[in-house]
Amino acid sequence: MTAQIAERLRYLGEEHALCTNPLNDYFSMGGNDPAFESTCSALWRGYVGTWEIIADRLYLIGLQGTLKDGTEASLATLFPGFPTRVFAHWYSGSLRIPQGGQIEYVHMGYGSRYERDLFLEVERGVVVTTRVRNNGQAASKEAPQGYGVGAMLVFPRTGQHDRGKP
Amino acid sequence: MNYLYGYFGIGAVLFTVVYSLNRLKKRNDPESLVDLLEAANPDRHKLSHRLVNQVLVPVAAIIYVIIAWPVLVFFKIKDLVERRRYAKAGVAPEFAVKHQHLLERLSVSEIEQREIVLDPLEAVPAVPFGHLHAAWLRFITGVGEGDELWSFSVQWQTPWGRKELREGYVSIQNGTIGASFFTVWKGLPDET
Repeated sequence: MTAQIAERLRYLGEEHALCTNPLNDYFSMGGNDPAFESTCSALWRGYVGTWEIIADRLYLIGLQGTLKDGTEASLATLFPGFPTRVFAHWYSGSLRIPQGGQIEYVHMGYGSRYERDLFLEVERGVVVTTRVRNNGQAASKEAPQGYGVGAMLVFPRTGQHDRGKP
Repeated sequence: MNYLYGYFGIGAVLFTVVYSLNRLKKRNDPESLVDLLEAANPDRHKLSHRLVNQVLVPVAAIIYVIIAWPVLVFFKIKDLVERRRYAKAGVAPEFAVKHQHLLERLSVSEIEQREIVLDPLEAVPAVPFGHLHAAWLRFITGVGEGDELWSFSVQWQTPWGRKELREGYVSIQNGTIGASFFTVWKGLPDET
């Protein structure tokens, strides 16, 4: 499995890579799952969500993805009536935000290691605690800063316009 | 004293067999898998890591097997029996709420009253279970008249070894636990 493109998180005025997929739990708990199309090996889930924390509450504020029928998905596709902001009350668990230099690149999932991990512990959509885990120091000052994906394979689109063709 | 030597002797033979089989299996592992496992471990170049993995762990393993080999035999047999049972059933262990996980019997209206989700930015419908309201409606459609509804809390381990906390509500018909609706589904750290 290729390293995966991270979700995005706006937190304390900055944009971060978020190495957790809170929408997975929404789908597992019975939420509307419209079947996303994987467009490349670095995005098996088929979408990228943009999240925001305001007053310790986790919100989904954007969604980019393509459905299996070829249509572009947005926040309103999953949450009709809430096109700009969705309170993620279903989510409980850790949100992982890697920080600092890259210690090791692992070409699998969110496996790469960084100097620090900021964890936000969430209970039913509300951030209850934060903690930082120090993982060591990057081997050199030139180490990549922040989360990134090294390589990926882009799949040809098989949207509705292509269906039925030989 | 002879019995003790015999006991340790069996342990030594067992260790030799297990070690040889392990070496044989390792040789058959595809290189890509070996590389993957290596890449997943960032400390592999450290002297401390090599000391622990190449000296301390093997020595501890030898001592453990020679002294406590009946324990290993017991777990191996248990593992074989369980594998056979799952193979017969055709499925891996699945999540299930059991009677010991039940917390409180509640009515639909009691549950709906306590599960209304509110948000100061109005980013959720003010209905029971918020954005999961449709899933809740589907769940209670399947609850028959006379069925009981209970809250539950379960800590369990998935077939992939991930520890999870799952909470929510289940329906019970004539004492048999039926479908469940989840309100919490979170991974737990390994130490809990």
